[in-house]
Amino acid sequence: MAEAIFTTSTATAPSARPAKAPLLRIGGLSAFYGELRAIYDVNLSVGEGEILSVIGANGAGKSTLMKSVMGMMNRGSAAHTRGEVVFRGTRLDRLGTEAIVDAGVAMVPEGRRLFPRMSVEDNLLCGAWLPRCRVGMRARLDEVYALFPRLAERRSQIVSQMSGGEQQMVAIGRALMSSPSLLLIDELSLGLAPAVVDDIYRTLDDIHRQGVACIVIEQDLARALAVADQVCVMLEGSIVLEGSPQSLTRTQIEAAYFGTGA
Amino acid sequence: MTNEDLYYTFIDIANGLLTGSMLGGYYAMVSIGLALNFGVMRLVNLAHGDWLIVAAYIAAALATLTPLSPFWMFVPVVPLMFVVGYVLQRWFLNRVSVQAMERRGMSTNFGLMSPLLVTFGTSIVIAQALLGIFDSNARGIPNELSFAAIRLGEDLSVSVLRLIFFFVAVAILIFLHQFLHRSHIGRAIRAASDDSEIAPLMGMPTAHVYAVASGIALGIAGAAGVMIGMSRTFQPFDGPQFLLVAFGVVIIGGLGSVKGSLVGGVLLGIVQVLAGTYFGPAAQQVGGYMLILLVLAFRPKGLFSA
Repeated sequence: MAEAIFTTSTATAPSARPAKAPLLRIGGLSAFYGELRAIYDVNLSVGEGEILSVIGANGAGKSTLMKSVMGMMNRGSAAHTRGEVVFRGTRLDRLGTEAIVDAGVAMVPEGRRLFPRMSVEDNLLCGAWLPRCRVGMRARLDEVYALFPRLAERRSQIVSQMSGGEQQMVAIGRALMSSPSLLLIDELSLGLAPAVVDDIYRTLDDIHRQGVACIVIEQDLARALAVADQVCVMLEGSIVLEGSPQSLTRTQIEAAYFGTGA
Repeated sequence: MTNEDLYYTFIDIANGLLTGSMLGGYYAMVSIGLALNFGVMRLVNLAHGDWLIVAAYIAAALATLTPLSPFWMFVPVVPLMFVVGYVLQRWFLNRVSVQAMERRGMSTNFGLMSPLLVTFGTSIVIAQALLGIFDSNARGIPNELSFAAIRLGEDLSVSVLRLIFFFVAVAILIFLHQFLHRSHIGRAIRAASDDSEIAPLMGMPTAHVYAVASGIALGIAGAAGVMIGMSRTFQPFDGPQFLLVAFGVVIIGGLGSVKGSLVGGVLLGIVQVLAGTYFGPAAQQVGGYMLILLVLAFRPKGLFSA
């Protein structure tokens, strides 16, 4: 499978990405809930077609980082960010969530957050709401069904009646309906059966091979390292370790994860 | 019980079911906007009834300006009210909504309070404005079918106007249901209603989506307003009485379901007419409220809640 699906205008095949032009660059990003600072001065970049795994304990600021990229932290005095998020030369930190999605970034939120009273197909079609996505919407729907054949069988089922794994498939499929170049996934495998997680990781591989870059928040360290081109570890709102999985030792990662400063 | 008694009991019940159902279609129209506003935006629009009366006044004013049949008044009033609803939501209510208050760091309780106060104020402004522009006299929109009836038997008949309005109401509700389920913007309205925080992640601009939902709510209220104008008399301060009907239908039928509004409206209509028949006109309202109380006691989320 995976022929010419979800290819975006500037996507490159993973085998041919020596230059790794940064698709997303985050510079000096801090995020606040009211007065409370949740992430501190984060710098990172993701190349075209790259997978970045973000790991860290609960409350380390991983989800806040993703919400900041998606413009979901711009909520007046309730929450705001400082610093810059640049995607293909566009300052995302100055845009609203809808415009960020239109620019080519999509997110699978923590807990999936499907529209519970709608069918699988309606949830997927919601992902294609933007005018630029409505052309070829049906073809893209078929592509999502090709990635997740199980969803094709259950297209008219109400999503709240489905298993967690199937719901995660719908959530990923829904995000793919907007043809993103960068896909953010908050907690890819949390609470799912191992067999289902295997399936989902296989599909992530397909998506990645089509040139879609991903930032994945993952609690399962082994999986996070296996799939990633780059890994970063967050602790108390800051990035304390980053590098390629090959360049980091398990001891280093565990020390960073638990903040034991080895 | 003699045969004659049985006959009249039958006629009374048949009349209650028939007239009540007809009334119910129009009650559903009166209430659907309120249900849509609350279901999608968590906005309790206390001025809902007053907007119905505004639509009735606009229809009455336009009807005197043209020689056309008053039935044509649906054509300008519905789109006009849609625009009013859109503009009102987009540039006014969105700024005082629960979501806007939460963005400003206010508590949810305060957030729920703010649109209540604003729409309560709007209700007073509308009623006073109508009183200022027109006067306190009761008005109606005379039309060729005001007194027309179809006789179904010696003692049983149905108002042609009510019958037409019932079918118009059902048609509009079916259209609305299809619109919400099959169109892009309809899906966006349902998505924003399910999870307003996540809808923007689909690229949906919630301010616009809310405005369209509010436009639809007032557009349908506009159609209901024309029906009110053509089937009874109205005055500037009649709004709250329709707001109460709308609350009743929403409580009975449940929120978030077009079918619920229709069934809720029909049940309320039937109970009101039967109570009126058996216990006198004063019992009409009492009967309606008894039904509302019963539903609140046994199915507090309504008969059709999702």
